[in-house]
Amino acid sequence: MTFLGLASKNAWRKPGRTILLIVSVTIAFALYAVLQAFLNGASGAAVDQGRLVVANGASAAQSLPVRYLDTLETLDGVDDVAFSARMRGFVGTEDNIAVVTAVDPERGYRVFGQELGLDPAMIEGLSAERDALLVGQMLARAMGWQVGDRVSITGFHDVQKDGSRNWAFTVAGIFPGKTASTDTYFAIAQYGYFNAMRQNGADTVKNFVVIPAEGVDPQSLAPKIDAQFANSPYPTRTQSEKQFLQSFMRQIGDLKAVVGMVVAAALITIFMIVVNTMAFAVRERTFEIGVLKSIGLSRHRIMSLILSESLLVFTIGGALGGILGWIACRFADPSIGLVFSVAGWVNIAALTLGLGLLSGLLPALNAMRLPIVQTFKAR
Amino acid sequence: MSDPIRLQSFITLSEIDKSYRMGGQTVPIFQDLSLTIEQGEFVAVMGPSGSGKSTILNMLGGIDRPDRGKLTIGNSQLHRMGEGALTAWRAQHVGIVFQFYNLLPMLTAAQNVEIPLLLKPLNARSRRERIRTVLDLVGIGDRAHHLPSQLSGGQQQRVGIARALISDPQLLLCDEPTGDLDRKSATEIMEMLQFLNKELGKTIVMVTHDPESTRYADRTLFLNKGVFESREVAA
Ligand SMILES: Nc1ncnc2c1ncn2[C@@H]1O[C@H](COP(=O)(O)OP(=O)(O)O)[C@@H](O)[C@H]1O
Ligand SMILES: [Mg+2]
Repeated sequence: MTFLGLASKNAWRKPGRTILLIVSVTIAFALYAVLQAFLNGASGAAVDQGRLVVANGASAAQSLPVRYLDTLETLDGVDDVAFSARMRGFVGTEDNIAVVTAVDPERGYRVFGQELGLDPAMIEGLSAERDALLVGQMLARAMGWQVGDRVSITGFHDVQKDGSRNWAFTVAGIFPGKTASTDTYFAIAQYGYFNAMRQNGADTVKNFVVIPAEGVDPQSLAPKIDAQFANSPYPTRTQSEKQFLQSFMRQIGDLKAVVGMVVAAALITIFMIVVNTMAFAVRERTFEIGVLKSIGLSRHRIMSLILSESLLVFTIGGALGGILGWIACRFADPSIGLVFSVAGWVNIAALTLGLGLLSGLLPALNAMRLPIVQTFKAR
Repeated sequence: MSDPIRLQSFITLSEIDKSYRMGGQTVPIFQDLSLTIEQGEFVAVMGPSGSGKSTILNMLGGIDRPDRGKLTIGNSQLHRMGEGALTAWRAQHVGIVFQFYNLLPMLTAAQNVEIPLLLKPLNARSRRERIRTVLDLVGIGDRAHHLPSQLSGGQQQRVGIARALISDPQLLLCDEPTGDLDRKSATEIMEMLQFLNKELGKTIVMVTHDPESTRYADRTLFLNKGVFESREVAA
C-alpha cells in the first residue's frame, strides 16, 4: 500500500457518494468545456484593424454600384480593394441555411485569402469554371459536401434571369479558415457568374473592403472616401472593419453574456455542493484523523492525504468532463460555432487543480489544526 | 540502575500541572504530579472514571502536554518539544493501543498495521516481511487480509497491538486494552502484553478498570482526583 493507495481507499470508502461527486464534477466540467467553446467560437471572425469597409451610407443592408471600384482603386492612399455580393439561401429545407459570398477571385484572395486559409490552387479552381464554389470547412461538414460535388442552393431573394431560384455550383475546394475560431460557415462563388445570372441588383455589391497603403492612417482615409461619393445617388459610409462588425457583434455578445451567466451560476452551485460534501466527508473522519496523528502521521502527511483524496475526485471528474465536452463540441452542429481550443484544456486542468485543492484545503486545515485530544472526542 | 550514564529513570514526570478549560472555567486535573517508571517496567494504572488516567497516557504519548513541569522519556524532554517534533518522536518511540482498537474500517488487518510504515523508507519486500512477522507475533497471521468488520474484538485488538509494535517502539501505552473484550479474549491479550514485556523488553503503561489485568503488571498505581494513592502494590 502506498500513501496514494491509502488516499484512494479513503475516497472510495463510500463509493456511492464518491461516484455522485465525480458525476457532479464531470457534468460541471462538461458544461464548462462547452461554454468555453461557445464563448470561444462564433465571434471569432478575424478583424483587421487597418482595413476599411465601404458600405451604403443610407443602410448597410443596401448595396453599392460595382463601378465605385474604379474610383476607390485610383484614390490616393488606397493599396487594394476587394468587393463582395451576398446571397442568402438554403439547401433542401429553409432552415438549412447557406450563405454565398460572391467575389472577384484574385481580389478576394489578396484581401481575405490569409484569414480564410485560401491557397492559390483553390483560387485557380474558383476561376476555372463559372459555377465553381469554394466551401468553408464548417459549412462543408454540415452539408456533407466534398470537392467535385454538384450542389444546389436556393436563394431566399436572389432569382436567376430564367426565374429559377435554384443556383447550381460545383465544389472546387474547401477552405479551412486561418484558425479553428475563424467563421467558415459560408461559401465563395465568382462574382462574374452570380452577377451575370441574377435578375435583380445587377452590377451592385454589398460592400467594398479597402486596404490603405502603407503608412496611411485608415481613420483619415475613411472621410476622404466618403467625400468622393457624397454627391452621388449612393453616398457611402466608410468605417474600420471593427466598427462595421460591432453592431452585429453586440447582439452575439449579449447572447453570450446571458448564456455565460446562466451556466456560471449552475457551475458555481455544483461546485459549492461538491466542496461542501467533501468538507463534510472529511469532518466525518475527524476521529480517524486523530488516530492517524497519534500513530505518528505529521500534519502535512494528513494534509496531503486529504488533498490527494479531493484531487482524485476532481481529476477524474475534470478529465471525464473535459472529454465529454470535447466530444459534444465535435459532434455539435458546426453552425453553432463551438471551438474547443488548447487553452480550453489548460483552463480545465487549472480549474480541476484549483478546485480540488480548495475543496480539500478547508477541511484539511481544520483537521490538521485540531489537537489530537479534541479529535478523540469526535467519536 | 545497571546503566551508569543514565541518572534518571526511563520515564520521569516531575511536578506536572495540567488543567482543562471548560466553558471559561479552568478545571485542574493534576497539580504537582510526579512519577517515575523504569525501563522494562509494566505499570498498571487504575482509578475512577475522570480521575485523569487517559490524560497521563496522552501526555506520555506526546499527544497532550503538561501546562507546567518536566516530562522526560529516554533522552527526550517532551515538555520542550513542539508539535512537529512530538509527532516525529511518537512515530519512532511509542506504540498506542486503544480501548476500541481504532482500526481504519476500509483497510485490511495487514494494511492497518502498515500505516506507520508509510512514514519509513522501506522497500515493498522488507515492508511485507515486517508486517508478517508482527502479525504472526500477535497470532493473527492467518487473518492478514480480513477487514476489521470480519474480525472478533479480540482479533481486532491484536491488530491494534501489531500496529503499535510495527515501528518497534520501546514504550507501549494501552488505554483499557481489554475494556471491550470478554474474559477469554481479555486474558489472551493480557498474556500477550506480558510476553511483549518479559520477552521483548517493552516498557508498558496500561490503564485498566479490571483488577484481573493488574496481576500481569509489575506495579499498579491508583489514581484518584489527580493524585496517586498510597495503596501501591508490587506484584
Ligand atoms: N480535552 C479535554 N477538554 C476538557 N476536559 C477534559 C479533556 N480531556 C479530559 N478532560 C477532563 O479531564 C478529566 C480527566 O479525564 P481523563 O484523563 O480522560 O479521565 P479518565 O481517563 O481517568 O477517565 C475529566 O474530568 C475530563 O472531563
Ligand atoms: Mg479514560
